[in-house]
Amino acid sequence: MKCQKCGKNNADTHIKRVVNGQFEEHHLCSECAAEMGYTNVFDSFSHSFADDFNSLFGSFFENALPARTQATRCETCGASYNDITRTGMMGCADCYKVFADQIMPTIRRIHGNTTHCGKNSPASKAQPAEKAPAQNTKSELDVLKEKLDSAIKNQEFEQAAELRDKIREMEGE
Amino acid sequence: MSNVVMQTRIRLARNLRKYPFPCRLSQAGKNEVVETIVSAIKNSNSPLANDFDVLYVKDLTEAQRISLVEAHLASPEFISDSAGRAIVLSKDREMSIMINEEDHIRLQILKKGFDLDGAYDVADKLDTLLDENLDFAYDEKLGYLTQCPTNLGTGMRASVMLHLPALQRSKAVSRIAGNLQKLGLTIRGTYGEGSEPQGAMYQLSNQVTLGISEQAAIDNLKNITAQLINQEENAQKRMADSIETQDRIARSLGILKSARLISRDEAMDLLSNVRFGINTGLIEDVEIQVIDKLISDIQPATMIVNKKENLTPSQRDQLRAEHIREVLR
Repeated sequence: MKCQKCGKNNADTHIKRVVNGQFEEHHLCSECAAEMGYTNVFDSFSHSFADDFNSLFGSFFENALPARTQATRCETCGASYNDITRTGMMGCADCYKVFADQIMPTIRRIHGNTTHCGKNSPASKAQPAEKAPAQNTKSELDVLKEKLDSAIKNQEFEQAAELRDKIREMEGE
Repeated sequence: MSNVVMQTRIRLARNLRKYPFPCRLSQAGKNEVVETIVSAIKNSNSPLANDFDVLYVKDLTEAQRISLVEAHLASPEFISDSAGRAIVLSKDREMSIMINEEDHIRLQILKKGFDLDGAYDVADKLDTLLDENLDFAYDEKLGYLTQCPTNLGTGMRASVMLHLPALQRSKAVSRIAGNLQKLGLTIRGTYGEGSEPQGAMYQLSNQVTLGISEQAAIDNLKNITAQLINQEENAQKRMADSIETQDRIARSLGILKSARLISRDEAMDLLSNVRFGINTGLIEDVEIQVIDKLISDIQPATMIVNKKENLTPSQRDQLRAEHIREVLR
């Protein structure tokens, strides 16, 4: 999807917000998102536009904003997305689901990745034990493939060749 | 065996699914989390079960709190607030669990020397045993869920404490630091955040926790650590040939053996020089373990706790000098 603002770059930032009682949704490229004040929404934990908006007018508009209820607060812990950007802290495990769309770009910026690979919580017992290693390999493979894509994009061909060999090796297993 | 790595630490961040993260947890909720975790430890099959102390931050004196940080058992963040916080420690202090720091559980394994695999092995087992009695917040895609997204995934921070006097002196550390970032690692001073940390002691740790397995992160850290050890040892050998270095090291030992008053800062610098001297064979009659023990013993709050009485800064300087003279005699 192209950025809704400039129409040129790919949209990689999904913004949902409520302004003056209206729910808005934007798909923007990172540059246009930055122009709108969504630069470091999360990674530097700086004040975002939404924050300023809230601190300036929040209390004033509180009653006029019926949309800011279930949609923008985590039901489990009561955290809003503003709480999260302001503090840099998630409120509870469920916040990761409720605010998934908003925080994924941040998680990707921090880790260069959004898929866990490593130890499985043994208590996620719902999952049969022998299935676990297979899943591990799969996510590791996905990670390598993602890295390969970005290496090619960045013209890091030596690294790409190495990654390709690793992927072949793993797929051949 | 290289002496460049002074200690190894593995830290795992875990949270209980049932409770909000500490930043949105009530006082009563925090107390419940403490009790739940402590009883899970008691009922676990882990080596920690029969052999641990629980310290409630609210019951500790200021000096006791700070001494935990000096001993690398607690973070400054942890002791900044006492409400609903506790730390579980094994008797030998190798295993520790901070409860309600940034996450409900911050499990740490601390080992002397360079032993990432050994430390992870203990951490992994302890984590698995705790998991049997506690329901951890875990997501198939994102891994272990943590209060701060920077710890998502494995929740693991592996770190080594490095003594890099020669690389510090040749100004190489800042150049290296820039390159490390690209490799997903970070290096910072152990004591003091400045560009030239006290005693030339640095903490090297992994930064990325999502999309990289524990083993891969540890292997990466091991690799880079081995390279740094190599560079440091080569630089030490080169420097040890100069008469200026030899003079500096011999004088440092001389001062430590005869001073009547010594501040922590001065002692740290001199102990660092002596450590360098032992490593390069310029000093032969002092064991490196003795120096490492002194480095932890002379920290201000640790001294107060060991002495069991309050000390003014000048009393501390006197006691510190006495203690060092005694040990090095």
